[in-house]
Amino acid sequence: MTTTTLTLILLIIMIAAFVLSSIKLKSPDISMAVAAVVLAIAGTIAVPALGSPVRYLVEGLFVNLDLALLFIAASIFVNIYSHSGAIAAITRMVVEKINNKWILLSIMGIMMLIPGALTGAGSVAIFVLGGLVNTVLEYLGISKKKRTVFICFFAMLSAACPPINLWTMLMTAQANMPYVGFTWLLLIPIVIAGAFTIIFIGWGAKPQSKEETLAKFPPKDPKLTWWRIVLPFVAIIALFLLALYDPWGLPVLGLPLMFLIAALVALLCNPKKTTAKQYLGILDDTMEQVFPLVANVLSIGVLQSAMAATGVRGLIGSTCVGLPLVLIYSLILVVGPICQGCFNYGVSIVLGGPLIFMFNTLGMDVTVICAALSLIFPLGDTLPPSRIVGRLACEETGYKESYIGFFKTLLIPMLVLGLMAVIMIIKPAAFAFLY
Amino acid sequence: MIFFENLIHILYFVMAGLVAFSMLKSLFKRKKNQGVVFDIMYAYCLIPFLLRVLYIK
Repeated sequence: MTTTTLTLILLIIMIAAFVLSSIKLKSPDISMAVAAVVLAIAGTIAVPALGSPVRYLVEGLFVNLDLALLFIAASIFVNIYSHSGAIAAITRMVVEKINNKWILLSIMGIMMLIPGALTGAGSVAIFVLGGLVNTVLEYLGISKKKRTVFICFFAMLSAACPPINLWTMLMTAQANMPYVGFTWLLLIPIVIAGAFTIIFIGWGAKPQSKEETLAKFPPKDPKLTWWRIVLPFVAIIALFLLALYDPWGLPVLGLPLMFLIAALVALLCNPKKTTAKQYLGILDDTMEQVFPLVANVLSIGVLQSAMAATGVRGLIGSTCVGLPLVLIYSLILVVGPICQGCFNYGVSIVLGGPLIFMFNTLGMDVTVICAALSLIFPLGDTLPPSRIVGRLACEETGYKESYIGFFKTLLIPMLVLGLMAVIMIIKPAAFAFLY
Repeated sequence: MIFFENLIHILYFVMAGLVAFSMLKSLFKRKKNQGVVFDIMYAYCLIPFLLRVLYIK
């Protein structure tokens, strides 16, 4: 039996384990871990020289450990900041002061982008701002389905938004590329797609009574002064900028520690009397809130490790490299999101990395292509089996109707972003001026 | 600077320890994410944090 045939059999075993586990356990995260265990065992049976499968599984748990810590630290920051009432105060102020529907929708969109841009996870944007944005959109007279689409799409955009785009980070790490030059390449398509979505959602909506809407917000705390609202954000942005522009003047803090420092500033700026027990409660809630994401990135690490050890990753990579370009251009908008739905961030390793290598061998601008792929992959966050962002958006707005109906409406802004990304992949040189 | 680098190194171990403690607690008692599937997930997600705290890996 040739090596390719053996690896192909292992790939089929892995996919079968993943599909069966997904059907039985209804969780893509544990299904990835199960698929990895089955693959590692099958691999060591087929090639005994690989050694103990446990080694690959434990090593895999450490692949994305830093990402898991980042998720946890960022969510702690966002939840402590939110507990102080700062986010509600900002939203209340925005509704009170702004009467123009389009400006209000734009501000909601920008606000939705911030938590995901800082943490790399669109679900955090929904956890933190979903409820408030839903209230404001309801005030603007937007239907429940369109509200869900707005929250879901901006959450996906926020995950792709710089400075932290996990797909790009994972792909650049795999391809030994620096995570530099992606800001405008990611931001400009996001702004265009966001602007289109705002027009698409807001068209024809008639705002309701402002007083009724303001009554739904928590009461304003007089002790919550402007500096208490601004300081935690200033702290995190200052740390980002210092690390970026004065790397030798500052010890290497790492993103998780930066977020914890900002969380400490948010805690000190909190005007509410909060006991240590209440803070521990917030930490416990945060851990439960962020756990599915932590489990997801750790499971991906295990799967990556097992796939790399058994040669399955190499097989997928070499197959991708061998595909005709026309086929890649035509299928990437379908295959990319579907793989994202199955592997979540793992798509960057399974599909993104090999594609980067392939385009690199063709002499194309891989920075632009990497950014374009990072715009396509998040679209799969609404696709089964995981559909994390889609599911959360529906829960947040209380949308109980058909998921397909919601998805059809969502498909329009998704196509706008997807087509822009495909153009970037086809003509990367034309976008090189953006970095 | 070396002192600060060492301090940050220790802080990351403390962070891993706190996360491990929180996950261990959630493994036995939690409000959301109920069910056997999540029990298994909590158990295996705990492994890297525990190994890090115990200085094994």
